[in-house]
Amino acid sequence: MTVHLAPTIEDLSEIAEQVWSSYLDPEGEAPLFPVGPPDPDAVVHGDVCASVSISGAWHGHIVVSCSAVAARYAAAALLQMEVGEVMPDDITDALGELANVVGGNVKSTLPSVCTMSLPHVVVGSGVTNGWPLTVPVCELVANWRDELVVLRVLRSKSDLAGTTDQ
Amino acid sequence: MKILIADDSRVMRQIVTRTLRQAGFGDHDLVEAADGREALDKATAEHPELVISDWNMPEMTGVEVLRALRSAGNQVPFGFVTSECTPEMQGAAAAAGALFFIIKPFTADGFRDALAPILG
Repeated sequence: MTVHLAPTIEDLSEIAEQVWSSYLDPEGEAPLFPVGPPDPDAVVHGDVCASVSISGAWHGHIVVSCSAVAARYAAAALLQMEVGEVMPDDITDALGELANVVGGNVKSTLPSVCTMSLPHVVVGSGVTNGWPLTVPVCELVANWRDELVVLRVLRSKSDLAGTTDQ
Repeated sequence: MKILIADDSRVMRQIVTRTLRQAGFGDHDLVEAADGREALDKATAEHPELVISDWNMPEMTGVEVLRALRSAGNQVPFGFVTSECTPEMQGAAAAAGALFFIIKPFTADGFRDALAPILG
């Protein structure tokens, strides 16, 4: 039996804190606040949903989803522009890069050897970007500038056969 | 000095540019590439004196770009700025001839430490 370490909520929280303090809130004026207990049965949803996929010794997805307003805030912060200046392409690029950075750091907690995909971003009102053949590993539900942001690690069900997570 | 910044994310290219400035390296000429193929082409045609490259890009990965440059005899100083960091990747980067490996999210201090030996 193979024993694989899985990323934890503590890993995800630490990664989020680093991303926010480096790029989204460098002045410490608008930190990310975790809210409520994670719901393992909740569907990943949001107006903008960005993800990267991991394959190799571990198979799954790292998903960043948020409201349209939060996505505009994120793009404005990353590009250092006014929120009113943000264009749709800015939001796609910004959220994709957030998923890439979060995903890359999550990948560093996974067993070797894994590869990570380029980011995939879906934008639309009430987007539900589900992965039915996965199970949630950990989830960070947070409030940022009074908007919901969710970071989630999903693992492929087919990956779990003969494997014990810790 | 001319510096080539290769990253498929325009957002990240802007962040790298901004961080170079914050690290005290703002007075260099910057050239950008939006994928690995463009990075290889511009590293060849533009004759940069430093390449700062993402790892995971469309067309060619950053390490494929580096290997192609070295295979062609191009010894331009080359380093990675990437969100992915595993011992295997760092080993592959070093074996291909990379001079530094900066992990996203990064800070101006991290840029300064990695680039000062090259940019002075």
